[in-house]
Amino acid sequence: MKISVSKNKLQYAVSRAERMTGKNLSLPILSTILLLASDDVLKVRSTNLDIGIEFEVPVKMKKEGIIAVPGNLLNNLLSYINEDDIVLEEEKGNLSVKTRKNNSLIKGFPYEDFPTLPVVSAEKTSPFPVQTLLNGLKSVWYSASTSDIKPEISSVFISLNPEYSTFVATDSFRLSEKKIQSQGNKEDLSILVPLRNVAEIIRVFEDKNGDVMIRSDKNQISFHYDGVYLTSRLIDGVFPDYKQIIPKTSTTDAVVLKQDLVNALKVSHLFADKFNQVVLTIDPSAKQFTIASKNADIGEHSVSLDAALSGEPVTLRFNQRYLADCLQSVASDSVSLQCNGEARPVVVRNVGDRSFTALVMPLNT
Amino acid sequence: MPEQEHNISDTKQLWDAALADIERAVSRANFTTWFKNTSIVKEADGVVYLGVPNGFVKEWLQNKYHKFILKSLRMISENIRGIDYIVISKTEQQKPGFAESAPQLYGELPLKDLYINKDDNLNPRYTFDTFVVGPFNELAYTATQAIMKSVGSVYNPLFVYGGTGLGKTHLLQATGNKIKEMYGDKKVFYITSEKFYLDLITSVQANKINVFKEKYRKYDVFIMDDIQFLSGKQGTQDELFHLFNTLYDNNKQIIFSSDKHYNFIGNLEERLKSRFGAGMIVDISDPDFESRVAILKTKSRHINFSPSDEIIEYIASNIKGSIRELEGLLNALVCQAQLKNRDLALLEVKTLLKNNEKPRKTLSVEDIVHVVSEFYNIEKSTIYEKTRKKEIVKPRQIIMYILREDLSISFPTIGQRLGGRDHTTVIHSCDKIKNDLKKDTVLVDELERIRSLFAQQQ
Repeated sequence: MKISVSKNKLQYAVSRAERMTGKNLSLPILSTILLLASDDVLKVRSTNLDIGIEFEVPVKMKKEGIIAVPGNLLNNLLSYINEDDIVLEEEKGNLSVKTRKNNSLIKGFPYEDFPTLPVVSAEKTSPFPVQTLLNGLKSVWYSASTSDIKPEISSVFISLNPEYSTFVATDSFRLSEKKIQSQGNKEDLSILVPLRNVAEIIRVFEDKNGDVMIRSDKNQISFHYDGVYLTSRLIDGVFPDYKQIIPKTSTTDAVVLKQDLVNALKVSHLFADKFNQVVLTIDPSAKQFTIASKNADIGEHSVSLDAALSGEPVTLRFNQRYLADCLQSVASDSVSLQCNGEARPVVVRNVGDRSFTALVMPLNT
Repeated sequence: MPEQEHNISDTKQLWDAALADIERAVSRANFTTWFKNTSIVKEADGVVYLGVPNGFVKEWLQNKYHKFILKSLRMISENIRGIDYIVISKTEQQKPGFAESAPQLYGELPLKDLYINKDDNLNPRYTFDTFVVGPFNELAYTATQAIMKSVGSVYNPLFVYGGTGLGKTHLLQATGNKIKEMYGDKKVFYITSEKFYLDLITSVQANKINVFKEKYRKYDVFIMDDIQFLSGKQGTQDELFHLFNTLYDNNKQIIFSSDKHYNFIGNLEERLKSRFGAGMIVDISDPDFESRVAILKTKSRHINFSPSDEIIEYIASNIKGSIRELEGLLNALVCQAQLKNRDLALLEVKTLLKNNEKPRKTLSVEDIVHVVSEFYNIEKSTIYEKTRKKEIVKPRQIIMYILREDLSISFPTIGQRLGGRDHTTVIHSCDKIKNDLKKDTVLVDELERIRSLFAQQQ
């Protein structure tokens, strides 16, 4: 193999691929990145057997070839090089990386052991707007469970139908749902994408526009975008029937400015105890909406906000982070909170539409 | 070619032997990465179906190690001709004995673990672990166990019938779940006749009848619940008939349930009845006292509730019939106990039981005359007249029978209220209907429908 390639384009691909190499696995080849040069294209491939990716980087080719090199070494090396032209050349199973000033040799691995990426068997592919996908994932993914005990909730549930694209995540203490009107999806699809892979999908497609081609079967999903092929394992399970727990009525309603609430939560976080506990008091008859927190070692704080209130008075205790997390997905300037008394979840929505819904369970008193 | 099924231990031995061979030839790291968590799901017609943990492993085994695995397997068993790879989810094995985080600080969203699998409509909650076997359902239970051992070849079709709330659905779903668990690759499908009917209608409307036909023919185990609702639905019966033939000819297992024997389902085509009759017909009757006690104990253990033996026996001796009713009462007890925050005394249970009793029927003689005469399309007044026309006599006798059987009115009173007839006439009428019911299925059906009309009136 002998190619010359733009450093920025190579680094773009390698830095993203490096994240998907297998860490602490018994099989060393998985910690490598496979470089495959043919037809004026360099394929940069990596996988940890849970998610896999292949980038195509345009290169000037002198000789075809394949080589596997340690991902983090190559990535680190590239981040220190600040010249634009790089020449990659295979020398007896090792990779020489040359620029005008730098000259390095990286020990290669036997590339025959590098696994192929699974191909999704479904014959149907469908285009899907990348930004809708990212918007949906980013609106909910923080709610997913980070523990591996229940794989079906340590993932984001994606359901596509001709009317809506719905994204849902929950860790059973809070839940977020984002509904986006479809612009002519043709497919019907319900899948569970593992949380860890959601993070990578977001990272890879963040700077993209247009449509990504999605193909999925029961166990595997793949995303195909100009020069990028990403494939992820899916969770074979059933997402809890969450719709039935979204309260249909409420006993206390409040509408506050989102930024006010975000700031109030940030301040009260300074004084919160180790459980991040904040106390929300709503008293419509006294026109009161206060957030208070207290820590025996630090001190205490309370702040009241201007709010439009109705219903019964209520006092609820929350994990500050759970409330603050979901506010980042509220699109409107004001946010609506609907409570149903203690021990029932509070519903957080945009004012005026139902495209985003978050449920947060209060702390037990 | 006959299907050559190996039992679980056979295939395990085969795979273990092959693995031993493979382990010698590949590096330790490769072996643990690619061959850990693999197993033979089944072997049929010389093809070994290999279960792998994910798509990546499947891809790699297929591309890199296929020939090698095949060679290793063939060295042990010569008649293996191919390998197919199937991804098996490991969620089952992945549930470690994690202690629930001790003091629960956060309230949890009430997400229920009640999942219905969309692929097969089965609810995993129904298992044999919670199924109580007693003399009342022993036969049905044994039949399902036999089916599990050799799916599709014995007791095909199985027809289970019995009154409402006796555990038919539980038995059917548990069978489906168990078969899924035992065989992995067998496609099980559960559907109620109602859903089947609705699906047919939508398919016809959308001009997709072919899709409908294809959809149901791919299953290895087809379970249809509550087929009594097919009564009178000619088109659906036709579809079921064809589906039945296709599945049956391909040795697929078929299981039906109904709330009555198929002979007593009105408006059911003869050819369907004869198909049902070809297999095994079992009934589930009301549970006896001992079974009711056992059921109550199992259920209460399941919901972490421990009433005293005295209470359980009291409930068991006072509520007869439906298991669902027992379950409902038990839930009411739990609710009360939680509310009062202590165990309930027998006396409280007794009052609760009284409140939970069904309201007595308040039907008057006139109501019954009205409904029956309307059902047979005759003038109400003719019932009271002294005519002996055949079309009048039969409804009149049915009225007498119902008054006697359902409302327990004395023979003389019945006679008096129906136009001053002698009590011997009434006795004769009731006996006649009783005898007719034993042989005349049309009459059984009519009586059933009349009674359901009463139920609607209340």
